[in-house]
Amino acid sequence: MRFVAAIAAAVALAGAGVAAQAPPTPELGVLAPSNLSKPRPKPPFTITGTWFIDLGFPGSWRFGPPYPKLTPEAQKHFDASRKAQAEGKVYRDDIGQCWPAGVPLIMTRVWSISMVQLPTVVYMISGFMNSLRVINMDGRPHTDPDLLVRTFNGDSIGHWEDDALVVDTTGFIDHHHWIDSGIPASDALHIVERIRLVGPNGTKMQIEYTLTDPKSWEGEWKVTKQWNRVDARDMEIAEVECLPDLNSHIPSTQSKENVR
Amino acid sequence: MKALVFVSAVAFATPVLAHHSAAGIDRTKSVTLVGTVKQFGWQNPHSWMEVDVPGEAGVVTTWKVEMTSPAFLIRAGWKSSTVKPGDKVTVKVFPLRDGDPGGLFQSVTLADGSTLTERAAIPRPPAP
Repeated sequence: MRFVAAIAAAVALAGAGVAAQAPPTPELGVLAPSNLSKPRPKPPFTITGTWFIDLGFPGSWRFGPPYPKLTPEAQKHFDASRKAQAEGKVYRDDIGQCWPAGVPLIMTRVWSISMVQLPTVVYMISGFMNSLRVINMDGRPHTDPDLLVRTFNGDSIGHWEDDALVVDTTGFIDHHHWIDSGIPASDALHIVERIRLVGPNGTKMQIEYTLTDPKSWEGEWKVTKQWNRVDARDMEIAEVECLPDLNSHIPSTQSKENVR
Repeated sequence: MKALVFVSAVAFATPVLAHHSAAGIDRTKSVTLVGTVKQFGWQNPHSWMEVDVPGEAGVVTTWKVEMTSPAFLIRAGWKSSTVKPGDKVTVKVFPLRDGDPGGLFQSVTLADGSTLTERAAIPRPPAP
């Protein structure tokens, strides 16, 4: 009898062990109707629309100059880039070789960006290579580092703070990703963006960037960029892919003088 | 046969909507190509054209010309049928610095004498 009881207890324990290893119930996705319909404060504005970088705004589409003090490793790239530029050469033009531009540069390409804001998420689709950026707004934290898949556009979470949408982005990939020519982004890159609508009738959008990356520069690198709302049909985004056979027809991406 | 490539200096640069660095383009020079369209690509992110240009010894050189996206070409008056293989054209380009036969598109003059560029206004909202 004692023997039977022992077997029963062992079976019960084994069952409990199986139950403990069952996968957890998945949390709701940002487009789940029951997540979208949760009560939330009304956002102060919507960035839904098509936007185009304001080339007349100081700094235009570039994040420098001025530049922060670079780390020795980043400085090597920067010096090599300036040397190539002085010689009329292109330095590591990874974008020209179809690598993604990545955040933050994807935001300021001279192409339209379509933005769709929902209560739980903002989707940004750049007309430049159809690059997709997802900003989760449903209150989740950053992705567990053990589960994170590093990307060029990073892991973005956003929340409302007074008159601004504040977006925190980490989780970047550490290769072929540049902030400007010769300034590499590493896997330590951390970006905070304060997004506001300015100008008449919300026709302009400004983003204050605070970029830190202790592997590439010291301290905070602060830059503000501006976009214009564009409503014309021919400014909509379209399907765009960087294809090897296209690049074979684009001579400046194929130049033997390019510094790889 | 007389060479049908002419080089001239230019005083200003034309902005371009490129997907890559244009540091390898010499914007201080303009090269005029007189030739025949070999191919025309109407596609994103760049349209492109190949132009066969006859040289001094009768040798034909194919020039690769990179252009902006169809959306901006449409704003500048282009259609996908504006040029086609076999058309006689005069094309101006900013040349590559490396000396290879290629460059950045400036303008094309068609057989009927009309000229098209790729200049299109950067969109801005109306003044308040």
